[in-house]
Amino acid sequence: MKSITLKKLSKSVNEGLIIPGLSLNIPAGKFFALLGPSGCGKTTLLRLIAGLEKADQGQIFLDDEDITHLPIHRRPINVVFQNYALFPHLNVFDNVAYSLKLNKTPKEEIEQRVFKILEAFHLENHVYKYTSQLSGGQQQRVALARAIVNEPEVLLLDEPLAALDFKLREKMLIELIELQDKLKTTFIYVTHDQFEALTVADQMAIMNTRGEIEQIGTPKEIYEFPISSFVAKFVGTTNILQGKLRNVDSDPEIEIDDLGMFKISIPQKKEWMKEGCKLLISMRPEKIFISKKEVPNFSNMLRGSVQSIVYHGRSTQYNVLLKNGIKLQVFEQNEEHFPQQVIDYDNEVFLYWQKENVVLLEK
Amino acid sequence: MKIKLFSRKTNSDMPFTFGAPAMLWQVLFFYFPLLIIVVSSFLNISDLGEIQGLTFQKIATFLSPTFMKVIFSSMLLGISTSIFCLLIGYPLAYFMAIRGKKYKNLLLFLLIIPFWTNFLLHVYAWFFVLEKEGLVNTILMHLGFIQEPIHFLNSLFSIMIMMVYYYLPFMVLPIYSSLERFDYKLIEASLDLGATWTQTFRRVMLPLTLGGIRAGFFLVYIPSFGEFAIPELMGGDKYMFVGSVVSHYILGDQTGSLGAAFTVVACVCLLLSACGLYYLLNKIILPKRRNEKRI
Repeated sequence: MKSITLKKLSKSVNEGLIIPGLSLNIPAGKFFALLGPSGCGKTTLLRLIAGLEKADQGQIFLDDEDITHLPIHRRPINVVFQNYALFPHLNVFDNVAYSLKLNKTPKEEIEQRVFKILEAFHLENHVYKYTSQLSGGQQQRVALARAIVNEPEVLLLDEPLAALDFKLREKMLIELIELQDKLKTTFIYVTHDQFEALTVADQMAIMNTRGEIEQIGTPKEIYEFPISSFVAKFVGTTNILQGKLRNVDSDPEIEIDDLGMFKISIPQKKEWMKEGCKLLISMRPEKIFISKKEVPNFSNMLRGSVQSIVYHGRSTQYNVLLKNGIKLQVFEQNEEHFPQQVIDYDNEVFLYWQKENVVLLEK
Repeated sequence: MKIKLFSRKTNSDMPFTFGAPAMLWQVLFFYFPLLIIVVSSFLNISDLGEIQGLTFQKIATFLSPTFMKVIFSSMLLGISTSIFCLLIGYPLAYFMAIRGKKYKNLLLFLLIIPFWTNFLLHVYAWFFVLEKEGLVNTILMHLGFIQEPIHFLNSLFSIMIMMVYYYLPFMVLPIYSSLERFDYKLIEASLDLGATWTQTFRRVMLPLTLGGIRAGFFLVYIPSFGEFAIPELMGGDKYMFVGSVVSHYILGDQTGSLGAAFTVVACVCLLLSACGLYYLLNKIILPKRRNEKRI
């Protein structure tokens, strides 16, 4: 269990800058998720940490030790590859025992450790099968077992669940969390799937398309308080509106063209929040209440007409057209079998939200 | 069993239809002559060409130490050619398949170019390189490594050079194709798990390219066991190999069936040695398997 610190790390591939001088601290013993869109350089970053690629500039530290120039096979960092990269000529036992056999561990110890880990991963009935005879989920477990059997300080997971179906993925996510809890190894989980990242991470970092870190925080901080429209849009679904800031120092409001003034709250005043400045706000669809009748006790209200309805099972998504031509998404929990009011296409509706549920975005 | 030549219902019978001409060819021009060779090596044929019953005399003649020595030296020739080809060919194939990238096809083309020229031209070209006033001697004398020209020709050395030169592509091509299909991620996984490059080569690359190695090894071993032209041309008449003995009898007066008998003996030895080599290759390259019964 050690921390990873990146200092001004940069990497170009074929003259395209993939990682532009990135600094990041990944705390020891945490489940850290690195979330970013496809092609943003997150896999390259992971390969740099593993030693599969050489950095052009900058340094990588494992705790206080500079490992920038340490060759890959001497780094106590293991990777769970996206397509598992299991050895097809070895059976499950030998795949898992691979790293132990390299450094002349006594036979009895290898056997003991491998069997222990195979039991923990429910693979005890598949010990002598070849990897091609296993299902996707079992292969995933073998890959995990192989990567942790020699007790690495840091485990890197490169979209490890991408090849699994949804149900299995949910199950594996829980298993991963429990595994990390037990081992206390530093896990770095790279994914483009915000659901996976939010589920597993103690801490997460959002990477943008230029290979920069946009925001670091707990999943809750990232989801509830995104600092930029990129983060707000990438993690979860949101409504982004543009407006001007008014009455910053007394009773803050935002003025949106053709819609009017809406109350907002500023829990912590920042440097850039100046009277009259243009800014973006983010409103999560589930934080907006939709109703056909007027309801009291909300800070803000808007009228619109329902354009489309998407039924998701546990919730329903309404796309509501406002009078300035902007559409808002609203999620409503389906709490009852027989809802008291049924909202239909083209219905005129009221949208309500509390001022605390609006997030001001810096960029 | 009824064999359908044309079937509308399933496609599974179709390969037989397509393969029929080739099979017919193989039977007529390969298995049938082979049968003649095998049968005639057991027939007692008089000087006038009459068949006078069966005999094991001819086969027995060739089981003597003299001829066994010839067969043994052919095996050594084949094995050493295969091993040298493997040692040179594997790195070459690796370079082409994994480091070659977009130049892969060009490299393949360059490998095959020598086949476009006549075999005898290759031999004479090597004469010019290896003879007393040849290229190698001239260079070595100029550089002052040697005072007297070295006698390269008509030696095992010159035979070996020519054998490896000629058979190398047969080794490279199958290894190349198995390396091309090889998943480079497995090398990364091995290194990541703490293996050095040597360990990775030994434990991952070699076993997974065994198919190519095996194919290359036998593509070189089997023809070089019976190779006739190269030892004859590059070795003068100093060395006796299977090929020279067979040609001596087959081309000799009235000794054709003796040639057939020797061919049969040599073939059996080739088959046995190939089985042994197959076993050895597996033993050396594949990792030890854990036995399921040991739980």
